[in-house]
Amino acid sequence: MAQLVKRFFFGFYNLILGLVTTGKHLGRHAVTIQYPKERWTMPERSRGMVVLLTDHETGQLNCTACLLCMRACPTAAIEIEIEKDEKGKRRPKEFTVNYHLCCFCGLCEEACNFAAIKLAPKYEFPEWNSKDLIWDKKKLAEMGSDVPYEKPERKKVEAKKAPAAKSSAEGGDAAADTPVNPDAAPDGGEAKSSDGVG
Amino acid sequence: MELAPIFIWLYDTMLKLGLEVTIADVISLVGLAVIVFGFLTVMALFLVWWERKISAHIQQRFGPMMTGWHGALQTIADAVKLIQKEDILPALADRKVFFWAPVIVFVCSFAAYVVIPFGDGLIVSDLNIGVLYIVAITTFTIIALLMAGWGSNNKYALLGGMRSAAQAVSYEVPMVLAVLGVVMVTGSMSMNDIVRMQSAWGGFRWNIIFQPLGFLIYVIAATAEANRTPFDIPEAEQELVAGYNVEYSGMKFAMFFLAEFVNLFTVSAIAATLFLGGWNGPWLPSWVWFLTKTLGMVLLFMLFRWTYPRLRVDQLMEFAWKGLVPLAFVNLVYVGIVARWLNW
Repeated sequence: MAQLVKRFFFGFYNLILGLVTTGKHLGRHAVTIQYPKERWTMPERSRGMVVLLTDHETGQLNCTACLLCMRACPTAAIEIEIEKDEKGKRRPKEFTVNYHLCCFCGLCEEACNFAAIKLAPKYEFPEWNSKDLIWDKKKLAEMGSDVPYEKPERKKVEAKKAPAAKSSAEGGDAAADTPVNPDAAPDGGEAKSSDGVG
Repeated sequence: MELAPIFIWLYDTMLKLGLEVTIADVISLVGLAVIVFGFLTVMALFLVWWERKISAHIQQRFGPMMTGWHGALQTIADAVKLIQKEDILPALADRKVFFWAPVIVFVCSFAAYVVIPFGDGLIVSDLNIGVLYIVAITTFTIIALLMAGWGSNNKYALLGGMRSAAQAVSYEVPMVLAVLGVVMVTGSMSMNDIVRMQSAWGGFRWNIIFQPLGFLIYVIAATAEANRTPFDIPEAEQELVAGYNVEYSGMKFAMFFLAEFVNLFTVSAIAATLFLGGWNGPWLPSWVWFLTKTLGMVLLFMLFRWTYPRLRVDQLMEFAWKGLVPLAFVNLVYVGIVARWLNW
């Protein structure tokens, strides 16, 4: 009998405890974000849309058409056409990102040595027409115009390290830790693949 | 501001205008019915919204936010949608039973408000058997739920109806025994008498102070009566889809849904009247006190629903017959001996 009474009061106490818990939660503020009205500020490194970054000093794209991103892309969402400007520098004639294929893995950003391509923390780009999801250079640059980024320091590459960087680029290795001379990298092995594209 | 003088003034004006007493009575009764009906419908719509908001905030969501201020018009939008829906009649349904079940549920849940005192003098009819009337009329809904389950020709609906009947019949016993404690102390079944008895101590001589066990038993049994969690096995979604109202659609479904929330308000109003002093209270008008207490009870029932898990069928029955009924008898003996001995 004493056991029963004890169990009764213990159970009753626990029921009250449950009510207190839900009552506390009732007083807290909801964590929901009212999406169309409120928007969450995405983390800086979150991977949203792919954009091309512009050098704010010169107004030119950072891209040197080295095709590293194109090779790094696991779904072949990136297509690049190469052209050379008056100084003989390589630059993309056309840069296409196909959002039907893009899986937002961020490997292109990893592969890029010139801070030219980035996955910006923007995620709202639905379209009524599926053709509009294939973005060209102009659109990509426009979308990237307000994306902050850090431009990598460009130092003169030491003679010893240059071949190593070259070989890693040939192998399609995405991780290139050493900042590479922009003029040096696309040469050599890159030229072969550029023929196929351009 | 008390509301009762307004009704008395309206009635007197009708007489002064030269209406016969019979006609004036009929008009006033019909008017009262419309007013109570309108109030309860609005209240049910409000309660649906409130329940959704409370459940959402317990889970740290917002709940409905789009229609009106914080989604206040959401239930009206839902009701409009339900009215537009097709009224489906299952092929092998028992037509008459199927049709009348929601009507009976609706009427019975509203009929209880004849004897509920909304405020000082705000009672449709102060029957001298008020408590008995309420117990009888609210029990009647069980038959309608059984009808709905049977008439739908659906195994889930039938199971839901059967469970509902079994549960309600079981929990009716401790509920009535708990209510009986109040009746014993008051010496009257009239709701007004019960409220007036609690008007001492500046309106705070509530029955709950002297009969906490009775109140507890009543609240538990009333939760089961209103088919609410943790006693909602008649509508256990995981087992029965939706229970007795699976086959209903459109307006008939809306009637079941409204009746459910009117029932919730009924049990809360009875708890407030019998145990929490009814419309007694200082400073504020009596109907404000009544509404405050009733909505407080509703809040408690809603907290129950979003806190406790559902009981199994066998646990439910065991709890009613082995737990609550003996406790209710203990309460009766306590009230009988101690209360009369103390002579309050």
